[in-house]
Amino acid sequence: MFSYTFQWKQAFAKLPLMLDGALVTIELALLSMAIGIVLAVVLTGFRLSRIRPLVAIVTTWVEIARNTPALFQIYIAHFGVASFGLHLSPYVSLLIGITFNNAGYLAENFRGALKAIPDTQTRAARSLGMNPIQAFVHVVLPQMLRIAFLPMTNQMVWAILMTSLGVTVGMNFDLYGVTQDLNALTFRTFELFALAAVIFYVMTKIVQIGARLIAARLFRY
Amino acid sequence: MKMLLAATALLATTGLAQADKLDDIIASGTLRCAVVLDFPPMGFRDESNNPQGFDVDYCNDLAAALGVTAEIVETPFPERIPALMSGRVDVGVASTSDTLERAKTVGFSVPYFAFEMAVTANEKSGVTSFDTMKGKVVGAVAGTYEAIALEEQVKAWGEGEFRPYQTQADVFLALSQGQLDATVSTSTVAQANVKSGNYAGVQVVGKAPFDTDYVALFTNREEYGLINFLNLFVNQQVRTGRYEELYGKWVGGEVPNLTVPNAYR
Amino acid sequence: MFETALTTKDLIFLAQGAGMTLVVTAIAVVLGTILGIIFGIFRFQVGPWWAAPLTFLLDVFRSIPLLIQLVLANAFLGMVLKLKLSGFSVACGVLTLYTAAYCAEIVRGAVGAVPPTTRRAARSLGMTWTQDMAYIVLPLATRVALPSWIGLALGVMKDSALVYIVQVTELLKSTQILITRLQEPLLLLLICGAFYFVISFPIARFGGYLEKRWSND
Repeated sequence: MFSYTFQWKQAFAKLPLMLDGALVTIELALLSMAIGIVLAVVLTGFRLSRIRPLVAIVTTWVEIARNTPALFQIYIAHFGVASFGLHLSPYVSLLIGITFNNAGYLAENFRGALKAIPDTQTRAARSLGMNPIQAFVHVVLPQMLRIAFLPMTNQMVWAILMTSLGVTVGMNFDLYGVTQDLNALTFRTFELFALAAVIFYVMTKIVQIGARLIAARLFRY
Repeated sequence: MKMLLAATALLATTGLAQADKLDDIIASGTLRCAVVLDFPPMGFRDESNNPQGFDVDYCNDLAAALGVTAEIVETPFPERIPALMSGRVDVGVASTSDTLERAKTVGFSVPYFAFEMAVTANEKSGVTSFDTMKGKVVGAVAGTYEAIALEEQVKAWGEGEFRPYQTQADVFLALSQGQLDATVSTSTVAQANVKSGNYAGVQVVGKAPFDTDYVALFTNREEYGLINFLNLFVNQQVRTGRYEELYGKWVGGEVPNLTVPNAYR
Repeated sequence: MFETALTTKDLIFLAQGAGMTLVVTAIAVVLGTILGIIFGIFRFQVGPWWAAPLTFLLDVFRSIPLLIQLVLANAFLGMVLKLKLSGFSVACGVLTLYTAAYCAEIVRGAVGAVPPTTRRAARSLGMTWTQDMAYIVLPLATRVALPSWIGLALGVMKDSALVYIVQVTELLKSTQILITRLQEPLLLLLICGAFYFVISFPIARFGGYLEKRWSND
């Protein structure tokens, strides 16, 4: 039926290399999520502070992150900032690009989550003698993170998928980069990328199932 | 009547299936060439963003020889073979090194061009020759002959860093920005880019001790008829002096020999 | 402010790229939405067990990088099936299914958000399934779905930046081509980013406005 001859053995022989790449991909995604969440919390704090310049920073950040392609953000993080003489390695550029994107989207998710937390709680906390920052950290934040848990899982999946964009800034040791390098050597495009696709699929499933297990523990009461 | 039409249609399709690629190209009246267009002087875009360069002229010559019109399909380096395999192009005229690994997948003609490899460095990097690249951040275009050789060299040195970029333009951009200290590319490309004046602070500093990079036209592995035609075409280009003419037009200097001494191909 | 070699011709070239971005997006969003509605209603209608194969298939499109989907589709259709499709067709096809996968999810959620009691009431008034879908579910579900759908459409526009991989010269690719010639990465990238922003931002704001307005009542 097919006149194309599949050479799966050649692709499977490269599996260990690709799995090494997958580890880098996971590492990048986790780091970008961890930093992204912290930044998003800070941005949310800025937004709640109602201090004009701080709110302006948040708005700019969130709107750029949400209204331009991720590929564009990563390209800027490498070639754009280098126009100012700042040289970042592909790994760092990619990490910054994804983190910037994560923080923007998460800050928006957090804003949605905040709406579900009654303002009276903050006022109650304040009346107990907490200062605004304490009230935010001890009362609002834990609830906010819980409500935004599902969007955070989705963002983690996107972070994994976004690592594939690193090739445009010279990244070659994440899963996509490794696959492309191998493809340049052997030209077994279909077999290699099919294998990469399966690995990506498994990684996202692990994240989603893991998140469900964590959620089951967190939200059982 | 309907039956007859169906039968004719069936015959027509099976007839087409038996025709080989050479027939298909002549019948369709168009030759679609994969050309890399960020690889001056082999392929680039002029001020009106039209394709120009050695490979573009070569494709036009090939089309003329076949009696069809040429269509230039821009393909980045990593996409050359996928573009061919997916039937988006008929022939690659894309400065493609004829490696054995690749010959397992596509069919190469005899070499139509040969490159020497040159080291180009950012002036601030302190790289003055191939060996002083040791321990530096170096890069090349992903999937090219020189990228594969350079990555191996960096591994052998055991220090420094190798970065593959998607296009030649990105490599030189990174080089002039100082993100890369040096790159290895074909000397023609290096000279053309440095001469263009687009990249400040970038200089060719010497030769890279890689083997001469013979590049060949390529098409599908099983298309012997077409490969045969391509071989003869390359031979004719040299015989008629057209190769020398094109070389003078786009590159200049001593015309490289396309045959390997003491070996057949 | 900027010393630039950018000519009118180059701007037209960029505009062509932008046009390609919009065309690819429009095709993918229109076809993807139609497919997504069919898939979404089907999934809701037949229940999780019977829809499992479809659910799995659609999930694949959401679990694999779009770049890989494009490369794979390109390689499979071309190298394996030997179909002579243009990069443009492959790009539109993949983006359509990608859109459909997300859209089905939105539709399923929106249809599920229509209170079953309302639907039962409609059916007990003698409405057929089609009437129920057209007059009860459609207006109610649209309210739930529209803001997310706007987000999806904008997402597809931004993700269409990846179709360069199958040789479609869209906005970001035309920007890169000009960077090659003009060596003014920052200026050109800013123009490119501004274009995406100018299209996306007002529509996103409109979506946010709808969401706010419709969630209050």
